[in-house]
Amino acid sequence: MTPALLEIASLSAGYGEVPVLSGVAMVIRPGEIVTMVGSNGAGKTTLLRAISRVIGARGTLRFDGRDLTALTPEQVFGLGLVQVPEGRQLFDRMTVEDNLRMGTYRRRDDARIQQSFERVYQLFPVLAERRQQIAGSLSGGEQQMCAIARGLMAAPKLLTVDEMSLGLAPVVVDQLLGVLGEIRKQGITVLLVEQDVFAAFSVADRGYVMETGRIVREGAVAELEKDPEVRKAYLGVQ
Amino acid sequence: MNRYRWLALPIAAAALAVVPWFTSDTIVQYGINALLVATLAQAWNIIGGFSGYPSFGNSVFYGLGTYGTAIAMAQLHWSFGSGLVFGAVLGVACALLFGIPILRLRGPYFAIATLGLAAVMSAITATVEIAGKNIGLILPLFRGDTLFYELSLILLVAATGTVAWIARSRFGAGLVAIREDEDAAQVMGINTTTYKVAALTVAALFSALAGGIHAYWITFIDPASAFDPSLNVRMVIMTLFGGPGTVLGPVLGALILSAVSEVLASQATGVASLFYGIVIVAAVLLMPKGLLDLVQGFRDSGWRYFVDNVRRYRI
Repeated sequence: MTPALLEIASLSAGYGEVPVLSGVAMVIRPGEIVTMVGSNGAGKTTLLRAISRVIGARGTLRFDGRDLTALTPEQVFGLGLVQVPEGRQLFDRMTVEDNLRMGTYRRRDDARIQQSFERVYQLFPVLAERRQQIAGSLSGGEQQMCAIARGLMAAPKLLTVDEMSLGLAPVVVDQLLGVLGEIRKQGITVLLVEQDVFAAFSVADRGYVMETGRIVREGAVAELEKDPEVRKAYLGVQ
Repeated sequence: MNRYRWLALPIAAAALAVVPWFTSDTIVQYGINALLVATLAQAWNIIGGFSGYPSFGNSVFYGLGTYGTAIAMAQLHWSFGSGLVFGAVLGVACALLFGIPILRLRGPYFAIATLGLAAVMSAITATVEIAGKNIGLILPLFRGDTLFYELSLILLVAATGTVAWIARSRFGAGLVAIREDEDAAQVMGINTTTYKVAALTVAALFSALAGGIHAYWITFIDPASAFDPSLNVRMVIMTLFGGPGTVLGPVLGALILSAVSEVLASQATGVASLFYGIVIVAAVLLMPKGLLDLVQGFRDSGWRYFVDNVRRYRI
């Protein structure tokens, strides 16, 4: 079995005195698309924040063989663990191209940045058309594409996408799910955090189900889809 | 034309440098004030214009530079050079000490915290023995307007050079990212607190040096004049008038508004501040993004630029 790209074990984290996560364990291997699903307030975003070191956490947190617990958020980012945040968080008054350029902020391999631009524009032709447009004037779907593209410009090893489908039309979500498959083909591992379980299961290899700060189910999505509890709670079918 | 554009700045600086040899004392004295205020506006531009943090604490850095130089020269009998350095050290230390906690605040909370700092600083200084309590300090008298003029010009050129570097650097791109969306900047791996503290510290350095030069020139300082909050307001107005987040905007804004207020004060003494107010209000209404944007916008769309601005900002 290939060594894990991201390895989390007995992780607990919270805000101030309030614990949110307890005993979370998760493994992501290179080239996988892994999804984490769970309802609102289950702790999904908190887990992402703990991984990126924005909030403190106790437990095992290893990425690409490095212990993350001693690192700052910038250092984690520098290792290639890049987030596409919930709500996109674009630089609304900058052009699409400047937003993408901000993605390369911490890169030092200037010569290869042009290549990344080309690859990203190939992935999202609509962004190439709109490269001089102000990001705030894009449609919701295009903004999400721009946010994912900006994350890709940072040359990530693992791209985590938080609530990708939020507020988007189903047809746009399908299109973005297809892009995640393309991204994986380029050798980038993806962690997709979603409330839309149907969408997430359609593209992921494996999944984790989170409830009140704990992982309650895990496995291949084919198995999770058959699990009666998951079907009842998240898919709304008996 | 564009190839020789960079030559315009050294020529402008050289032209300003020879002014004392061709004009009257009054103009040189006005020039010292204008150059120092332009330096302060340029320094404010770094934290307020680039990173978008409206600081009302820059007058504190100016005041600390003033007092540092005055204490060093009047009480410790150091040279002017060492006094300047001492004042700059005080200003920079203050920026670091207060910047690290208060730059974690955003928007209006940050502005209020810096206002508080400004209010407290003059009160504290008025109780310190070595700072002459609330009476103030008198520095050794030195008549040399030309020297002060050239020093002020050098400081302004240094501040503008620093801003020109910031505007083209990775550091500057990080500050602009913070201004546009701080959360997104964080997601892109920018250590926002470090960047903001660095911006405030550079601003503090130039503000404190300007204060030190002003102290030795004016020879008498007291807490009310050294920590004058309205000086900070002038920095803000001049930067916004010229164009925040640009390299030359704050300098142009400061030099033009200084000239306007000087002419008004001598020609229409009674209603000078009224006219000054009208100029500011007109500027906010018609060119809210500053002079440099006006130049560009007027070239693109002529008089419509003003109409568009009034419409766009729904004033």
